[in-house]
Amino acid sequence: MALMTKEQYIESLRALKTQVYMFGEKVENWVDDPIIRPSINCMAMTYELAQQPEYEDLMTATSSLTGKKINRFAHLHQSTDDLRKKVKMQRLLGQKTASCFQRCVGMDAFNAVFSTTYEIDEKYGTHYHENFKKYAEYIQEKDFVVDGAMTDPKGDRGLAPHLQKDPDLFVRIVERREDGIVVCGAKAHQTGSINSHEHLIMPTISMTEADKDYAVSFAVPSDAEGVFMIYGRQSCDTRKLEKGTGIDVGNKQFGGQEALVVFDHVFVPNDRIFMCGEWDFSGMLVERFAGYHRQSYGGCKVGVGDVLIGAAAVAADYNGAAKASHIKDKLIEMTHLNETLYCCGIACSAEGYATKAGNYQIDLLLANVCKQNITRFPYEIVRLAEDIAGGLMVTMPSEADFTSDVKVPTKSEMTIGEYCRKYFKGNGDVPVENRQRIMRFIENLCLGAAAVGYRTESMHGAGSPQAQRIMIARQGNLAHKKELAKALAGIQE
Amino acid sequence: MRFGVKYCGGCNPRYQRGEFLKMISRHFQNRVDFELAKEDTLYDGLLVLGGCSNCCPDYRHFQTKTPPILVWDQDHFNQVTSQIESRLAKAREK
Ligand SMILES: Cc1cc2nc3c(=O)[nH]c(=O)nc-3n(C[C@H](O)[C@H](O)[C@H](O)COP(=O)(O)OP(=O)(O)OC[C@H]3O[C@@H](n4cnc5c(N)ncnc54)[C@H](O)[C@@H]3O)c2cc1C
Ligand code: SF4
Repeated sequence: MALMTKEQYIESLRALKTQVYMFGEKVENWVDDPIIRPSINCMAMTYELAQQPEYEDLMTATSSLTGKKINRFAHLHQSTDDLRKKVKMQRLLGQKTASCFQRCVGMDAFNAVFSTTYEIDEKYGTHYHENFKKYAEYIQEKDFVVDGAMTDPKGDRGLAPHLQKDPDLFVRIVERREDGIVVCGAKAHQTGSINSHEHLIMPTISMTEADKDYAVSFAVPSDAEGVFMIYGRQSCDTRKLEKGTGIDVGNKQFGGQEALVVFDHVFVPNDRIFMCGEWDFSGMLVERFAGYHRQSYGGCKVGVGDVLIGAAAVAADYNGAAKASHIKDKLIEMTHLNETLYCCGIACSAEGYATKAGNYQIDLLLANVCKQNITRFPYEIVRLAEDIAGGLMVTMPSEADFTSDVKVPTKSEMTIGEYCRKYFKGNGDVPVENRQRIMRFIENLCLGAAAVGYRTESMHGAGSPQAQRIMIARQGNLAHKKELAKALAGIQE
Repeated sequence: MRFGVKYCGGCNPRYQRGEFLKMISRHFQNRVDFELAKEDTLYDGLLVLGGCSNCCPDYRHFQTKTPPILVWDQDHFNQVTSQIESRLAKAREK
């Protein structure tokens, strides 16, 4: 089965025995849980679009391992063209869901582990690359979702893994056996982890020899013994439990998902180990994964930005303010910021290069510039959207009020619903419900559940801003720039 | 005549590619068959529907007797129809 349908994907999740906890309790039927389901719908979109002729050129690729048609999310990039198509695919999915569709981390981990294992084997004569190739073929053939798991809880940020009071604050090897290893620890903020079939674990920082038990990369199924997940709650999440048509949720169909994934004495067989103590390669793996992921945001956040710009323009129409010159100018500014992010995503892809293993890596400097802009521009786009929408996006009564037939004891004898519909009418021709819907939609993206993906993930996902500045400093070639200046200024030293 | 059709992935299309294809198919009703391009078929022509000027779909693996016709703007309608008309005329001459 090289390509699953959306329905097959959802059924495949039911077949797993993934252990999920939320609000202090175990969730047995998490696939149909109203809080979790929108994030599953979102992931399902990566399957649905791959089946459609209008999108398959971006959504699918030819496997470099088997020659078969596969979902691009399981692809090892073979050219700069592939890298560009990855960004375009992410933009497309952002447009179709206005949410974090969660499948990128796995793709980025895939490509980073593929090239790093090749270089570990080259130095140490290990067999990680062969292990990984077999694993990659398996994932491609099954069309599985993989959670790319890098971030550890990290405890005291000032201390190395082996110096933490609690040794489990970074994932580590607790036992080495003939047939494999046993690991303990956790990965935090794991996007789409519950909706994934597999978890691909990587170290989170560059390490020293003292941390060699923490320099570990491996893969386990979501329902492996000892693995469980605790769902990360999102702003306004319980609105999904309310009665009504879901107007107050903003985006009823789609959403993102993060969870804490715990590994409590989990056994990993030898053929699923991709790094085991080679601490000197942890930095390479982190840098490559982060590089890909910093590129990713130049696609996914741009797609969500497209929808937010559209929503702000609709709000301006409904408010009757669309013709104002400053509103038009703000929409232009939002577009300019959004397309600048896209430029960065495309640029770091176009300047990519082949790794020793043969797959393509993005240009690191440009990918870090991309992500640095991502830590800022979505915030400015949100600010402008809030400006255009007006205060109603945060002060409007609930859907229940708009439909209420409770009479208010006044002279007019009107119901609460009638008052709401009277006072929240905007542009004469537009039904009040449409205005309600667009305001809630904007609220969802700017400060509701979708803001997790559009705002804070833009800040911290793939590394906090300072992490990019360190890379920019390292890659920026300041010495060359100084030489240029000295040469032109006639300075001879 | 039989034309294969290849869509781009549609990340930011500036026009409705599906609608464009419907218009073209209607124009050539009963004269040209348009179908989603398959790799194992030799077509009389290939229509590549890009969403923007980048026109980035991968179509090199499809087989066509005549050079592919690339579209990335709905204003290409007249150009495309006249190109296909002239190919039809040439085919009739033969
Ligand atoms: C929505 C979302 C989705 C995510 N999805 C994934 C995922 O799918 N997979 C995954 O692996 N990770 C994921 N992440 C994790 C992401 O990579 C981390 O959030 C990021 O690396 C920052 O780590 P942190 O959140 O622990 O913040 P911290 O590391 O606590 O950072 C907080 C602040 O402290 C600073 N800081 C931290 N340590 C130091 C230090 N030693 N010296 C100086 N300053 C320091 C940082 O620069 C930052 O300003 C996700 C995060 C978010 C928010
Ligand atoms: S042709 Fe344009 S719209 Fe279509 S996938 Fe390529 S870049 Fe996107």
